[in-house]
Amino acid sequence: MKFKKIIELVNVWKTYQVGAVEVNALRGINFSVKKGEFVAIQGPSGSGKSTAMHLIGCLDLPTKGKVYLEGKDISCMSESLLAQIRGKKVGFVFQQFNLIQNLTALENVALPMIFQGVNEKERIKKARNLLELVELGDRVNHYPNQLSGGEQQRVAIARALANDPDIILADEPTGNLDSKAGKEIIDILFTLHKKEKKTIVMVTHDNRLAKYAHRIVHIKDGKVIRGE
Amino acid sequence: MNNVLKYSISNLLSRKGRSFLTILSILIGIAAIVALSSFGLGIKYYMEDIARTMGADKIMIMPKDYATALGESNVEFTERDLDFLKRIKGVDEATGMIVSVGKVKFKDYKEVYPYVTGISTNSKERRLAEEMFVGYGIIEGRTLKKGDVLKATLGYNYLIPNNLFKKPVSLGDKIKINDIEVEVVGFYEEIGNPQDDSNVYLSLEGAKKILGKENYFFILLRAAPDQNVAELGNRIKEKFRKYRDQKEGEEDFFVQTYEEIIETYGSVINIFIGVLVLIALISVFVAAVNIANTMYSSILERTQEIGIMKAIGAKNRFIALMFMFEAGILGLVGGGIGILLGYGIAKVGGIMAASAGLSMLKPAFPLWLITGCLVFAFLVGSFSGLFPAIQASKLKPVDTLRYE
Repeated sequence: MKFKKIIELVNVWKTYQVGAVEVNALRGINFSVKKGEFVAIQGPSGSGKSTAMHLIGCLDLPTKGKVYLEGKDISCMSESLLAQIRGKKVGFVFQQFNLIQNLTALENVALPMIFQGVNEKERIKKARNLLELVELGDRVNHYPNQLSGGEQQRVAIARALANDPDIILADEPTGNLDSKAGKEIIDILFTLHKKEKKTIVMVTHDNRLAKYAHRIVHIKDGKVIRGE
Repeated sequence: MNNVLKYSISNLLSRKGRSFLTILSILIGIAAIVALSSFGLGIKYYMEDIARTMGADKIMIMPKDYATALGESNVEFTERDLDFLKRIKGVDEATGMIVSVGKVKFKDYKEVYPYVTGISTNSKERRLAEEMFVGYGIIEGRTLKKGDVLKATLGYNYLIPNNLFKKPVSLGDKIKINDIEVEVVGFYEEIGNPQDDSNVYLSLEGAKKILGKENYFFILLRAAPDQNVAELGNRIKEKFRKYRDQKEGEEDFFVQTYEEIIETYGSVINIFIGVLVLIALISVFVAAVNIANTMYSSILERTQEIGIMKAIGAKNRFIALMFMFEAGILGLVGGGIGILLGYGIAKVGGIMAASAGLSMLKPAFPLWLITGCLVFAFLVGSFSGLFPAIQASKLKPVDTLRYE
């Protein structure tokens, strides 16, 4: 299989101002992800792996360096343009699920499609299909607090798939789940990778999950130390 | 747009308690504005209505110290004064009125002290006085005619039990004015204010005899149809001043056209309404602060939600609109309920005023007042939500998700 670079970070620095102190979360990080790859990012807490994830997902901009998404430099884009891009190209799965509490499972899954201007009929149809895909077809009208952790994370995966993005970013997706539910989530992600050819970047400190990945990138002190 | 709106509504419904309190705060302000304005407008329309039905061809001449005490002036106008005024070019009709406070007694009931007014029995002259002061017409009995000396017509309130006297006065009853017995021959229609509706009317001859006065307190003129009333008023003022041998600016009388009187009352009412509405506006301002406060705390609570929405593709505009709509809806709903409440208060107030003889206090609800208040409430809401909304939309998604 021939891989094309879909994400590329070139000498990226991210500096936060904490009070009077400057904290370098990333110190000239370089790495790329090819289309269709399944990459795990590992590192101790505070290593900068979440920051790297945010940059890949267009949630944040680098202090220095370039971030390319499908060859386009996003480092200088406006917030609205970034929102558009991440809505369309990137699907997020968070450790805390991050569903919106006063929306049903169906509404949560349909929400990203609103931002891309998909009409209501199509939104509902697609959201229903996606919930069936994650085996929650009988839970569409449940609110997040009526669902178990594993179910909530599956809703979140369905939501991540709403706009049919090429890239799925998962930040400790099983961190808040028991091992059985965690296994189910990983299976879904792995199936998406295998069958739908989705590019998956997953932050995890769980070595068992990391095994599923093509490649493991190790980050420490804001630098890639292995797997670049 | 539609989606933002739906989302905003579901957000508000999920925080019912707080939404209710915020709505309550704007509701009170809008209800106050509607109730106060409707009364003000009612009085204004009442005045305009009087002006329309009575016409603006009338000019009144009255003593300069009139304001101090009606009927107790040092200046009076004589028959010669009246003749002089009658002969001025452009004056169609003229009549004098004698006015004084009188002691009125009916049967054994406690005496009352209303205004007792002597008016001409000449039908044209009487009509002039009636148009200006007395009221619309006779409701029972007849008007005063030539030769009526110990006869009186009464204001509407004498027909109502427990108003002036315990029992109502009837046609043919005898009442005592300043201890002189007169017969009641008619009653006037309701004017709508208790003072005018308590008046007692005599013929000029009767007034001279009973009140012991020779001269007039007011002189009323009607301008000829082709006359400019304001110009005529000025001309009369100058001629009458010279006739009375007084210097300019030192006249002991006023010349006022009916238009001026209506205008003066109109502007007093406008100021009155203005002050009341201003007070109500303060409460709307407090409500605006309250809405802004609600929105700010809502943003704090929902920082994470804003972050999630941004992460999954919401643009700044969506977030800003969402909060603006929420604030606007709070305003709109508060305004809507406020209008209903204000309407109710004004209606009840109007009924109470009417039963107290103040039928001129009849609230009016023109469409522009209702729609104006509704739009205003929505705008106040949206504007209060503007700054919180902008702040929310500018939150960086990564900052809002940083807790991880």
